Amino acid sequence: MSVPLLGLETEYGIIREDLENSDPVEESMKLLQACERKSVFCKWAYSQENSHQDLRGFQVRSLAQDEEEDAFCAEDRKRPYSYLDMKCDRVLTNGARFYNDHTHPEYSTPECRSVMSLVAHDVAGERIVAECVAKRNRESKGDGLQVFKNNTDYSGHSYGTHDNYLIPRETPFDDVVSGLVPFLVTRQLYAGAGKVGSENAGTKNFQGLQLAQRSDFIETLLSIETMTERPIINTRDEPHAVRNQYRRLHLILGDANMSAYATALKVGSTSLVLSLIASGAQLPEIELQDPVADVLSVSIGRTVALSRKSGGTITALEIQEAYCEAAENAFAGKDEESDWILAEWLRTLQDLKHRPEKLSDRIDWAIKEKLFSEFMESENIGWQDPWLKSLDLEYHNLDPERGLYRGLQQEGAVHDLLSEHEITQAMEFAPVGTRAQIRGQMIAQNAENIKSIHWTGIEFSDGETLDLTGVIHSEDVENILTAGNS
Amino acid sequence: MEMNDPLRKEEKKESRPDRDDSGPTSPEPSRPGRDSLLKRMKKVDPKQTENYKQRTGQ
Repeated sequence: MSVPLLGLETEYGIIREDLENSDPVEESMKLLQACERKSVFCKWAYSQENSHQDLRGFQVRSLAQDEEEDAFCAEDRKRPYSYLDMKCDRVLTNGARFYNDHTHPEYSTPECRSVMSLVAHDVAGERIVAECVAKRNRESKGDGLQVFKNNTDYSGHSYGTHDNYLIPRETPFDDVVSGLVPFLVTRQLYAGAGKVGSENAGTKNFQGLQLAQRSDFIETLLSIETMTERPIINTRDEPHAVRNQYRRLHLILGDANMSAYATALKVGSTSLVLSLIASGAQLPEIELQDPVADVLSVSIGRTVALSRKSGGTITALEIQEAYCEAAENAFAGKDEESDWILAEWLRTLQDLKHRPEKLSDRIDWAIKEKLFSEFMESENIGWQDPWLKSLDLEYHNLDPERGLYRGLQQEGAVHDLLSEHEITQAMEFAPVGTRAQIRGQMIAQNAENIKSIHWTGIEFSDGETLDLTGVIHSEDVENILTAGNS
Repeated sequence: MEMNDPLRKEEKKESRPDRDDSGPTSPEPSRPGRDSLLKRMKKVDPKQTENYKQRTGQ
């Protein structure tokens, strides 16, 4: 397979319900400060970051996020905190980064080598965030702090869940784009978290449940931007690996899934399609006439006919069936995890076609559709009732006593992909055979001697450095660990 | 993607789809738990989203 490392970044929504004016800067800082897990704190090496290089081969001078950061910096200069104080970066023993990004608590999983490991670490992130929320609420002797794993405030402000894939640099970027776009436009059929109503100016009168939370906010095909002009494929070229060998594909169009099964299907199918592209295998010959508009059309229309450049139309389901078949032809029998992804991908598409009600225990939008339909019937209300948006928000609440997805889990009404043991292990330990394992071990054993830290390395107080830029495969990890023990 | 993560090897849950050809099972529509979830839903403030204002993220 051609995707040696995978990762997920999730920006969480945060609010103090007991305060008239909830200050997200203050609340996000206090949340991070409440984290009691062993970690390296406020030592992230920002000097190693460069988000201005574009995958199309040029460097941009500024990004909308720079202006946004500058504006907040100007505003936040009045606060008695430094920039790093407000960022509150933590790197944990499981190799994850937990910090504040644009006033949202963000959990970035460690680099993982398998889809199931990644899903475990994503759920571990939910638990760690919820742990901090609970501590903050105990400290304030209330329950006013609430945190949500979603992507919208229903008023036009979106925040992201980014899926990342390390892919070979030798695969031409144009091939990645042409091979991936029809797949990405339509993967929301199972990866969409569902959203009541619409925040897009063109569909603001839509009443009902659309497939995905982010589809209202996708405005262009390719862009390096992440806060405006959000693209189907983000072109930030920041590999966090050896530049001439790898790209890190940083996808920002996806949703935050509460269902671990949906997360697995999302990153699993995307990994297989990327491997298909890299292998030069036969891809479905599909080019959409207007893929950007199609993102929202599919989210709202589901079975809508999409225009092809070659003429004629095709549905989102037909596109996914074509990709699934191509992946099956190329990868069936290769390994256990690929077989699981292929089987569940096909099963989900068949259920979508013949018995969509079967998805209501594993695909977020379908879970919401069933749950909210029952509620509307019991209360004799419709999709236009504002209560539905509030229920939609509450589905994503991490509070075990309030969150609707949490309630479904407690009742055994949704499919649990992971065991409790897998989740608790991922809260503590990094994935074995990854550079995150080295990072995590250093933090567990030597945190007080770490001067700065980044995905690509560690600088120690005595001036020694550990460069992890080229540590991608398990053999690389083994070599470093062996050298460290000798 | 390699299955080299011991987390995956340690646990062999029978309910996991990769080991159960019948796939995930749907919840019983009449299960008693659904009543308590409806109660949880009724407690949600219908105007909750009006107060839920966030800043744009990435």
